[in-house]
Amino acid sequence: MNILLVEDEVDLAAYIVRGLTENGHHVDHAARGDSGFLLASEGRHDLLIVDRMLPEMDGLTLVKALREGQSKLPVLFLSNLGGLDDRVEGLNSGGDDYLSKPFAFSELLARVNALLRRPHISGEPTSIRLGDLEMDLIKRSVTRAGREIDLQPREFSLLEYLMRRPDQVVTRTMLLEGVWDYHFDPKTNIVETHISRLRSKIGSDLIQTVRGSGYMIRAARTAP
Amino acid sequence: MRLAQLLKSASFRLTAAYVGLFSVSVGILAGLIYFLATSGMQSEVRTRIAAESTALREEYAGGGAPRLLQAIAERQRGRLIGGLDYTLYNANGRHLFGNLPVVSCKSGWVTFTGPPDGDEPEGELEELGVLVTPLADGNCLLVGDDIGKVRKFGSLILRSFGWVFLLTATMAVAGGIFLSTRVFRRIEAINRTAEAIIEGDISRRIPRRGVPDDLDQLAATLNRMLDRMTSLMESLRHVSNDVAHDLRTPLGRLRRSLEEAGRTVSSPEESRAAIDSAVTEVDGILDTFGAILRIAQIESGSRRSNFCRLVLSELVTDVCETFAPSVEEAGMVLQTRIQPDLAIRGDRELLVQSLANLLENAIAHTPVGTVVTVSLKGLSDSVELCVADNGPGVPEAQREQIFKRFYRVERSRTATGNGLGLSIVAAVAELHAAKLSASDNGPGLKIAMLFSEAA
Repeated sequence: MNILLVEDEVDLAAYIVRGLTENGHHVDHAARGDSGFLLASEGRHDLLIVDRMLPEMDGLTLVKALREGQSKLPVLFLSNLGGLDDRVEGLNSGGDDYLSKPFAFSELLARVNALLRRPHISGEPTSIRLGDLEMDLIKRSVTRAGREIDLQPREFSLLEYLMRRPDQVVTRTMLLEGVWDYHFDPKTNIVETHISRLRSKIGSDLIQTVRGSGYMIRAARTAP
Repeated sequence: MRLAQLLKSASFRLTAAYVGLFSVSVGILAGLIYFLATSGMQSEVRTRIAAESTALREEYAGGGAPRLLQAIAERQRGRLIGGLDYTLYNANGRHLFGNLPVVSCKSGWVTFTGPPDGDEPEGELEELGVLVTPLADGNCLLVGDDIGKVRKFGSLILRSFGWVFLLTATMAVAGGIFLSTRVFRRIEAINRTAEAIIEGDISRRIPRRGVPDDLDQLAATLNRMLDRMTSLMESLRHVSNDVAHDLRTPLGRLRRSLEEAGRTVSSPEESRAAIDSAVTEVDGILDTFGAILRIAQIESGSRRSNFCRLVLSELVTDVCETFAPSVEEAGMVLQTRIQPDLAIRGDRELLVQSLANLLENAIAHTPVGTVVTVSLKGLSDSVELCVADNGPGVPEAQREQIFKRFYRVERSRTATGNGLGLSIVAAVAELHAAKLSASDNGPGLKIAMLFSEAA
């Protein structure tokens, strides 16, 4: 995939470029907002990673200008600000996701992959099926091999979030933000305990733990 | 104190302006009185002369010159001080009576100066206002009176005003200087104190005179402000000391373990483990910084603009459901007593984090088997959110301290956490104008947030 990175911090940019390239992406890098905007306007990238604070043209302005030009390019904001309001501002300006510095590379990679896959899960399906696990989004019920599984609302949301992103690594922070709408980092292992409850209900083989990164649900399970 | 400084002082300028205003008004008053008094007197004299002339013309009309002379003679006999001067002369200019000079005999007013008649100041001539009345046969009647006295009275008025004004203005200026000096001295004292504080002597305070006037009150207010600033500076210094100390410890640990890894690690697995533990250590430090920044942001109050009505009952229920599995996993029991449909105005995200911090605090610092109770109840005009446990509690002396940044109760020093969780709760409570308290749960710790305004 073609990714455009607009970031003025040289070390960080090199680190991101190296990491994404290792993971099979092609990365273009711009160090200034205005040159980043020109590159993004060419329309040949699949994802834009943009810092909030940039020389010449800040990230918010860049993304607003892109959106005014009807660009649908998925945008991931990076921010040093890490403030409470900055995330809302970033998303309101047309960003699709927001990541505060400093971050673990695995976190960035999981979000990049999620954004790159986004078009495939858009639309509103009425049910999601993964192997013998079926989720009815209208009745809000889950069955496995035809047997109904009783889930609490939060467990349902958690499973839905994972099932909408099959074969993708979903980090703990993504779950906290996406399922709970929590934008802080609890010291307690609430995600882990909920995942383990979910596993005990739907079977421990479905949700895999990806060491150091997060969780993943497999679309096509290998035969046991 | 130099005179020039005094003359430039605000209080002296005020006095000077006041004296100026007073002078102008005295001037106007004096002019007005002068004008009214002299014009009144003058018209009174003229009225008298005119009446006299009319009466004498009638005498003449009745009996000619002899009758007129007789009437004048009668008037002369009864002459008192301030009586009138009479003169009659014929068409040839020959005087039949009196000694006023001859003028062309046309009806009207003329002014003469004549020899002094005794009531003038030394060396001045008498000033006469004279009404000329032509009579039949070419005779001419002149009736006059001393009008110099009008002018004299007027100047007396002006002189009196002049003296009064001079005296008053002198007193005003002297009083102004006196008062200005006093005010000036006290302002100087404030100034000197401020200068001393700028120079670095923060303990200096403005001296007070002990009288409850405005300057003394100002001094008291400024002193209170200085006290507050001193205590803020003190706490700031304290916090930065704590930050330095709290970061030195994990950084020291990190350095030691890295050094040790560099010396002893041989296999890739070992180096992997060393790196992982270093990353964990660094994450802890970053967490601490994140929490410090977050507290600063909450304390700035900018979040208040995002306040909206939120049903606290739902929020608390939701957070409790989220944390219940973790509490149970820690071997504790979570009880909830949540009154439904209680709403306040506030910031959802911050309130969620506060409650999460309170629950995590209970999980981290109480032993297995502890019962943690979250309750939310509506009082008459407030809503109380309470997180209580029946663990070991916190000694009374330390209860208020636990909300301070980096404060950690001695026995929990080894537990995880950065000592900022409850500080965030305190900042959020402050932002919501909620009263935060820690009390004895007998046994255990009970932390309550009292939101004063229900929405």
